[in-house]
Amino acid sequence: MLKKLLAALSILLLLHIYGCDKGLSPISAEQKAGFSGTITFLGNWPEGITRTHLVVFQNELKSSADFNIINLKYVSLEIPYGVKTFNFNSTDSSYIPIGAGTYEYVAVAQSKKPDLSLIRSDWFVAGVYYSNGDTSKHGVLEIPENTLVRNINIVCDFNNPPPQPPGGK
Amino acid sequence: MMKVSILNSVPKVPVTSKVTGTLFHFCLIFFIFLFSEKIFSQTYDISGTVSDTLGNPLDAVNVILVGEDIGAASNYEGKFIINNIKPGSYQIEFSSLGYQPYSTGIQIENKSVIINAVLHEKPVETEQIIVTAGKHEQNISELPISAEVIPSKDLAERNISNLRYALEYAPGVNMVEDQVSIRGSSGYSRGAGTRVLLALDGIPFYTGDTGEIIWEIIPVTEIERVEIIKGAASSLYGSSAIGGVINVITKNMTNKSFTYFKSYAGAYDKPSYNEWDWSGVYRQFNGLTFSHSNSFGNFGFTLALTRIEDSGYKQSGFFKRYVGYFKGKYKFSSFSDLTFFANTINQRSGNFLYWKDINHAFVPPDADQGQRTMSNRYMFGLIYKNIFTDNFSINIRSSYYKTNWSDETTSHNNSTTNLYRTEIQTNNKISDNLILTSGIEGTASNVNSNIFGKPTANGFGAYSQADFKFNFPLSLSAGFRYDIDKIKTLETFDAVSPKFGLNYKLSDKIILRSSLGTGFRAPSLAEAFTSTTASGIIVRPNPNIKPEHNFTFELGVNYQALPNLNIDAAAFNNEYYDFIEPELLVDFLGVSFGQFDNISRARIQGFELDTKYNIVPDKLNLSLSYTYLWTRDLNTNKALKYRPRHIFYANIDYKISAFEFGSDFRFLSRVEEIDDLSRFITDGKERVAIYTLDLRAGYNFMTFNVPGRLFINVNNVLNYYYVELIGNMSPVRNASLSLELFF
Repeated sequence: MLKKLLAALSILLLLHIYGCDKGLSPISAEQKAGFSGTITFLGNWPEGITRTHLVVFQNELKSSADFNIINLKYVSLEIPYGVKTFNFNSTDSSYIPIGAGTYEYVAVAQSKKPDLSLIRSDWFVAGVYYSNGDTSKHGVLEIPENTLVRNINIVCDFNNPPPQPPGGK
Repeated sequence: MMKVSILNSVPKVPVTSKVTGTLFHFCLIFFIFLFSEKIFSQTYDISGTVSDTLGNPLDAVNVILVGEDIGAASNYEGKFIINNIKPGSYQIEFSSLGYQPYSTGIQIENKSVIINAVLHEKPVETEQIIVTAGKHEQNISELPISAEVIPSKDLAERNISNLRYALEYAPGVNMVEDQVSIRGSSGYSRGAGTRVLLALDGIPFYTGDTGEIIWEIIPVTEIERVEIIKGAASSLYGSSAIGGVINVITKNMTNKSFTYFKSYAGAYDKPSYNEWDWSGVYRQFNGLTFSHSNSFGNFGFTLALTRIEDSGYKQSGFFKRYVGYFKGKYKFSSFSDLTFFANTINQRSGNFLYWKDINHAFVPPDADQGQRTMSNRYMFGLIYKNIFTDNFSINIRSSYYKTNWSDETTSHNNSTTNLYRTEIQTNNKISDNLILTSGIEGTASNVNSNIFGKPTANGFGAYSQADFKFNFPLSLSAGFRYDIDKIKTLETFDAVSPKFGLNYKLSDKIILRSSLGTGFRAPSLAEAFTSTTASGIIVRPNPNIKPEHNFTFELGVNYQALPNLNIDAAAFNNEYYDFIEPELLVDFLGVSFGQFDNISRARIQGFELDTKYNIVPDKLNLSLSYTYLWTRDLNTNKALKYRPRHIFYANIDYKISAFEFGSDFRFLSRVEEIDDLSRFITDGKERVAIYTLDLRAGYNFMTFNVPGRLFINVNNVLNYYYVELIGNMSPVRNASLSLELFF
């Protein structure tokens, strides 16, 4: 009987060992998938701007139909009006959090509407992320799992705005 | 010399005295001779009581002295007595159908002996009778489908206060929060609709608005057993039984006064990580149940009241709950009776939909702080049974289920629902080989809610099933059910659900079974008409939603390898059509919203292996079960959401004397697909495989004639952190002490 009891306890112990991993755990900002950088604003802020957000779309905005909530993968909290530089980290609070993945369009968008509208014509793109200084095409943001991608810097030149995606005014 | 002196010392007596003395000695010798057997061989009695592990008296238990031609049987109070036992050493044995025999040595010296025996239910019980598969009594080994039974002792030993936690250990069954899934039938839909039908003594028990199961209202302490039927059972039970049936069989009232008292208290451990320790204290929980049963003439009743309070291991995860239960039965005669049920629950709870983020895993988002939900639910049922002849009986089941709930979210959601149901069922034993079960069922519900509107729903069903039992070891089962439903503005729909099954006893040790079945599920009113916003997620109604259907096939084998080793294996294939799932859509204004729709053609295939091994008879039992699920959304070729591919359960029980110990281990592989709610729920994709280990130890005072039991339970001993649902941490390690008393 002792042998049988020991065999049963061995099975239990084996299961116990398999379960020794603690499962989920908190994730430090460094381990969280996300991106950070600095937004620099050049020139004078336009009058009447009520909202400025850093936004990320999964796919490039080829038509106004691409400006939809499914394609929209990140919306930062509001960027204060009139600032000259703004440091951000997507792992901080946001309207829509972002995870690991590949994102084709990263931009700073502004609106004169009081609400967080999802209508394309309510928004104006003030700056776009370009990778490696190549301003001929917008940069692609790649966020690996458990990695904070740094130096995603964007320049918003109010005197020289970037090309606007389709559907704007 | 001495002898002479003694004779000389004898005083002289008169002649008459001599005669009297002689007569006295003669009589003394005569009586000593006459009663010598009694004097030199005094006999004694062995008496006592026999009860089950819950303290319920067991009648008709055979009590014998092994090797002697002496014995007795216990009466309805569980009492027995064996008279005229000579002093000596004996082996006394207690045996009863469905229970493990118990024997012990006794020594009778100069007094009667009292023995109080506690019998444990048999762990490997292939001759178990269940009533759910065919709506009449059937031997579980003769069914064409897979079935499981959870006995009441399992609920008590695990200190189960909510039935959902007991189902986590049933082979092939897994829970996603409060939604039950049998062999992968269900994912998670925030309580809207269920693919498993829950019934209480055969009465379907789901709400009229959301169509969900309210587990908390089930009076756990009054459960006799829980029967689980795996696979589509719509041919008898209609809508919602598309994935299976869970039938809760309640205890019968006792013939004499019986009072049950249970109290427990416990605490949750603090999370291991400082970031997660939101309260800084050990969160506590406790519960109290009082139950009384008695009979007076033809009337018997059981009344049970339960109060449970849980401060919650999550912020806003607290609740306070009062559950009431009454069951009364009046016997008109030996052949007919009327049973009345009343189930009530009043609950106030916090509202925790999902976490703020993984670093605040036990705290809801700031906007959801302080939200509350209040609910009152009442279910009344009537069951009339009449056995007209040995071959014909009728059952009428009628119920009324009222639910009322409201929350304190920004939408102030609320709903009041009335659901009426009546079923008339007949059982006709046409011959010794054929039983025909037929019935009709009607339902009507109305809802008044700010999120579901004011819809009504009406349904009607008619069914018939024939169970053939041949003279050789083959059983066949064939049946069908027709349902027609009308839900407010939705198109009227109907469904025919046939089924066919067979069971063949290949040998004394091997039984084969196979079944083909179909099922359907009408969308719940919540799936069709919900219009609300919950924690930023907009949900819109779908007036075009249709019922979903499935076709199931199962092939199983049961192998009694040894008298104490039973192995059951089954392979299954479920094809789903018009599968209803929640999905995230975008309207023409670019606004995203959730909606239930018939989005998928789905397939669930897999196999199940279930082993019960009584390693050391009456002492050490081991149960192992493994389920492999291969689920596919055939439109996207991805796995179905919230379905683990591997499910493994292990259970060990060890009993020695009045002590019992047990352990339950659960493993569910990491689910491959979940809802993409990452835009709403920070770190919502975080999930892991599930490993949980529960331990328990108990002491049964019945052995010492004290009617009570004490249990210590430690759940999630490893303090493993996991989610069953997006952003919703499952219970951390917790320990409790429970005491049961019977009198």
